[in-house]
Amino acid sequence: MTGMGALIRKELLLLLRDPHGLLLLFVMPAIFVLIMTFALQNQYSMSRDVTIDFLLVNEDDGGLSRAFARQLGNMSPLNRQERDLGWQDMQALARQGEVKFLVRIRPGFQDRLGQRQPAVEVVLAPGLSPVFVSVVEARLTELLNRFYLRLRLATLPGVQSSFEARASDLMETRSLYDDSGALPSSVQQNVPAWLLFAMFFIAVPLSTTLISERQQGTLLRLRSMGVGAGRVLFGKVIPFFLVNLLQVVLMFLIGLYLIPLLGGDRLTLGAHPAGLVLVSVAASLAAVSYALLVAQITRTIEQATIVSAVFNIIMAALGGVMVPRFLMPDLMQQVGGYSPMAWGLEGYFDILLRNGTVVDVLPEVGALLAFAALMLALAVWRYRRVGPEQG
Amino acid sequence: MIAINHLEFSYSPSASPVLRGIELDIADRALFGLLGPNGAGKTTLLSILAGLIDCPAGRVFVDGLDLVTPRARQQARLSLVPQEYAFYLPLTVRENLQFFAGVQGVPGSEVDQRVSEAVSLTSLEERLDHRAGKLSGGLKRRLNLAIGLLNRPRLLLLDEPTVGIDPHSRHFILETIRRLGEQGTTVIYTSHYMEEVEELCDRVAIMDHGRILRQGTLAELLAGQSGSLESLFLDLTARGLRD
Repeated sequence: MTGMGALIRKELLLLLRDPHGLLLLFVMPAIFVLIMTFALQNQYSMSRDVTIDFLLVNEDDGGLSRAFARQLGNMSPLNRQERDLGWQDMQALARQGEVKFLVRIRPGFQDRLGQRQPAVEVVLAPGLSPVFVSVVEARLTELLNRFYLRLRLATLPGVQSSFEARASDLMETRSLYDDSGALPSSVQQNVPAWLLFAMFFIAVPLSTTLISERQQGTLLRLRSMGVGAGRVLFGKVIPFFLVNLLQVVLMFLIGLYLIPLLGGDRLTLGAHPAGLVLVSVAASLAAVSYALLVAQITRTIEQATIVSAVFNIIMAALGGVMVPRFLMPDLMQQVGGYSPMAWGLEGYFDILLRNGTVVDVLPEVGALLAFAALMLALAVWRYRRVGPEQG
Repeated sequence: MIAINHLEFSYSPSASPVLRGIELDIADRALFGLLGPNGAGKTTLLSILAGLIDCPAGRVFVDGLDLVTPRARQQARLSLVPQEYAFYLPLTVRENLQFFAGVQGVPGSEVDQRVSEAVSLTSLEERLDHRAGKLSGGLKRRLNLAIGLLNRPRLLLLDEPTVGIDPHSRHFILETIRRLGEQGTTVIYTSHYMEEVEELCDRVAIMDHGRILRQGTLAELLAGQSGSLESLFLDLTARGLRD
């Protein structure tokens, strides 16, 4: 196609001379990936290095309560801190967030347990995550039930009443992620999520460039030179597609090298990186086509910036970029299922979290390509209908 | 030779016609001035010639080529210099010229030569690596013109190329256009400045409300008139304040 090289070169030069655009496309998502990966690290790593610190005071002097205290301290991820403090001081520490909860074993522990009366008081630190609360309650319930059974069985003659084995020892847990037993981490969620967010943000520089060209009369001049709608729009698709691919490479490099360097988990690419390439290409085409349509339905740079940013944030919020969709209620999950970012994210998760194959990502890739085709068709139709001089 | 035959145009079926039966014959190598108040239809006429607007009625021929297709316009080596600074402000003068040469299909090996010719005609040699956005108004006008010269046009359409610039820059641009005419380029020049048209053009048409009111050489237009071109213009276009 005549002059396509010139159109691509011009577009890349314009982007290179636009520091705000570069910040938006490369620096902003990189910062988001770093912040969110570390901020949510514990939420995704419950089964590994996370500890839930607590303090315990034993107001009972019986052997059973001492055994209870000892075993509670050994129950992962609960981690008993040894401090010689009174109950009031312990509460002050919990309020400051230095420990997650407090346990007070009441006097007469054994009798209370035998009579199914509260034998232990648990005080939660303010702002403790519901996930942590569930873990704390589950562990304490498990241990209290074990000690209660121990007491009851001890009254039966000839029954072995040792319950030192943990309930979790009675089952095996494994992940379908891969055979190594590795579990998905925060970086697996956040790198693709913020990558997609950044890819769709090309709507801002692309649409503002196109609107500037319209306002400056450059599009008219190009048309007078025989450069039609197809070439003008295609001349934007290719360079911004390349920019998207550069974003993919940058974000994945951050996940692979920078985050581990800073102490986080390393991004694992799964066994079928070809699937990642396929999702990236489809997501990029969807993002570029969407950006072209934004440029066609807005008249001013201010309108384009606001429309791009607002729709991006809505698509991201619904699509699980900011809050994972599995945490949303059913209705929100269903609504979020219409966001192209959700399709892209699911495609990436198929490979990064579920260790899927190229075949597994085809439904999401198909949806993204259909979205891209629709957006592009609308953009071309609008461009031809109103001409290069109007929005 | 350019022949414009019975050109009619309106922007929508319900709107008043912008062009009403325009008939013009413009000789090869002519410097042809097109005068008219705002809303007269000058820019629309240039837009039709440049292929920016499809015209359902009437025909335009350049050396017998019907300018109905982009290919015909390309063969006619037609170039439009719009009134706006229609280039990229963040790019340098060189990058702009290389880009516009590239999109017009100038082969890569020839681009530098074309850029060199265009900057030489417009005296932009020392500004080649300056950002277009940093140029003064006069230099921007020269760059706007230089872009229009990249395809070595036979027919150059200039839409008020001296608006908003200082007298020195205006003089330079007029001299450049005169030189282009001497080198064989046919120029259609629209302007509000009567003295420019008097100084530059060998033939003039005055239009208003989409019609050609008068056309001919300056001498023909002013024959029997006591006043200047400006007073003729004001008489023909009804001496009122316009939008």
